[in-house]
Amino acid sequence: MLSLLILIPLAFLLLMNFLTLKGRRMAFAVVMALSFFQIYAVFCPTIMANRPLHGLASVFDFTLAVDGLSRIMLLCIAIVIFIALLVAAPFVKEEDKRFYFAGLMILELMGLNGVVMVRDIFSMYVFWEVAAAASFILIALQKKRDPLEGAFKYLIFSSVATVFVLSAIAIILLISGDTSFAAIREALRVSPHSFLITLAVGIFLAGLFMKAGVMPFHGYLPDAYASAPAPVSILLAGVVTKTLGVYTAMRIVIDLFGFSASLQSILLCIGLISAIFGALAAMGQKDLKRLLAYSSISQVGYIFLGFGCGTPLGIAAAIFHIFNHTVFKSLLFVNAAAVEDRTGSLDMSRMSGLASRMPVTGTTSVLASLSASGVPPLAGFWSKLFIVLALWQCGHYGVAATAVMASLLTLAYMLLFQRSVFFGTLEKGLEGVVEAGFGLTLPAIILAVLIVGIGLFFPYIVHTVIFPVVSY
Amino acid sequence: MSAQALTLFWPFCLFIVILFIIGFYCLLVTFNLIRALIGLELLIKAVTLLLVLVGYVTRHEALIQSLVITLIVMEVVIIAVAAGIVLGLHQHNKSLDVRQLRNLKG
Repeated sequence: MLSLLILIPLAFLLLMNFLTLKGRRMAFAVVMALSFFQIYAVFCPTIMANRPLHGLASVFDFTLAVDGLSRIMLLCIAIVIFIALLVAAPFVKEEDKRFYFAGLMILELMGLNGVVMVRDIFSMYVFWEVAAAASFILIALQKKRDPLEGAFKYLIFSSVATVFVLSAIAIILLISGDTSFAAIREALRVSPHSFLITLAVGIFLAGLFMKAGVMPFHGYLPDAYASAPAPVSILLAGVVTKTLGVYTAMRIVIDLFGFSASLQSILLCIGLISAIFGALAAMGQKDLKRLLAYSSISQVGYIFLGFGCGTPLGIAAAIFHIFNHTVFKSLLFVNAAAVEDRTGSLDMSRMSGLASRMPVTGTTSVLASLSASGVPPLAGFWSKLFIVLALWQCGHYGVAATAVMASLLTLAYMLLFQRSVFFGTLEKGLEGVVEAGFGLTLPAIILAVLIVGIGLFFPYIVHTVIFPVVSY
Repeated sequence: MSAQALTLFWPFCLFIVILFIIGFYCLLVTFNLIRALIGLELLIKAVTLLLVLVGYVTRHEALIQSLVITLIVMEVVIIAVAAGIVLGLHQHNKSLDVRQLRNLKG
């Protein structure tokens, strides 16, 4: 039944083209319904149970499987697609562009779902490219100058990352001769070619680091995030780079290669560099979305720090932080969209005191900033605490202490952002600004409720959702 | 690996490595958007040949054949999107020079 999550979007994508002009206006509602269906499916045991298909339906039998990790990613994808569509209305105005936008969103949904559920290394590559191609087009859809530039940089980096990953897949095939995860794991375990395996792991991870946009490989990421239209920035920062880069790295390391001491130190090193230098770079930004993009790099560093421990606690913390990052970064991008929609600019030096004019946006962005910087009792605090605890448990005391310091840097740039945009006296020329429309405040409120709710009901959530993830 | 496969293996390998180097060199030194795409194509072709070589050496030709055909289809999609983006950039800048892409920085 798992293939439903890929086949239903595919069917909708094909059927949408037969809609009449009037029906095409409903395209957004269709995609929202799909994301609701996915949220329902994640909690529905009959859909999540992977029974093999029989008869004619077995044509659609991919090697799919879900575990706790995939479920959390499926949930993140559905939430972000839903939020991005709510936000999209003021930013995609033309009727035909809206229709294409909805179609590309479905394609993105399908590609990401495929990457999350597939257990075959080559099918994973195919879904990877589907999701990546959809996101290039989404960035460049309106054919404005800056988004085209951002999309081109993203495309070149992403394709080079793909070349790396494919070379690694070729080397793996040389050893195993089969593409399914189970066969590869078995072949790698008994294989005597340790040099080839190390080479494959290195090339594969380099490709995935490029996709995830961690610090030495981050060149395209701020450009792509900052130039994309607001709903696409939410999508990119929330799930696309997380699924294509971070989730895939986790899946590959956990399922195929297994942890080794050198792999752990690479992950920790990359994570630490990203967490610190991402935060430092965020401090110097004038453009609001660029600041959020660098903040995203820094938070991905945290995720790699938790993951690099290799212990169940570390992996659970990393997954929890992926979810929290999705929620608070989407909320911050929604707030940036509200500010852009009302003031027409994202330049932080030209605005201040907006909180008095935009109370909902101001309040929710404070909540998101505090969650990002790890202030209790909000959701972000717990995942950062777990990451630090996991590092401490493995004996990486210095790394744990530096992670805490980097969290202070997060607080610093978040306060800079709050002070220059929302706090203080109202900047001249912004007196006419009013609170953003329903489409921008509703998603902000939903996400803020999630942040506070997860923070407060943390003991319940950690035992029912987070720890079962690593008990496979 | 049979003896015949071995004799062909190293020249083939060398050719792929040279193709990789040319592709990366092209991507690094060019200031032309179309040439950057050609460099990308060279890299993807090198990977395709690498997969073919792997299939030949491990005698899994049928599997690799299906993989390579899928890879070619995906590559065409990506290059078509890239060409569209380059066309859009050309309409805005009236040039194909990468040095014109300096709007986004920081």
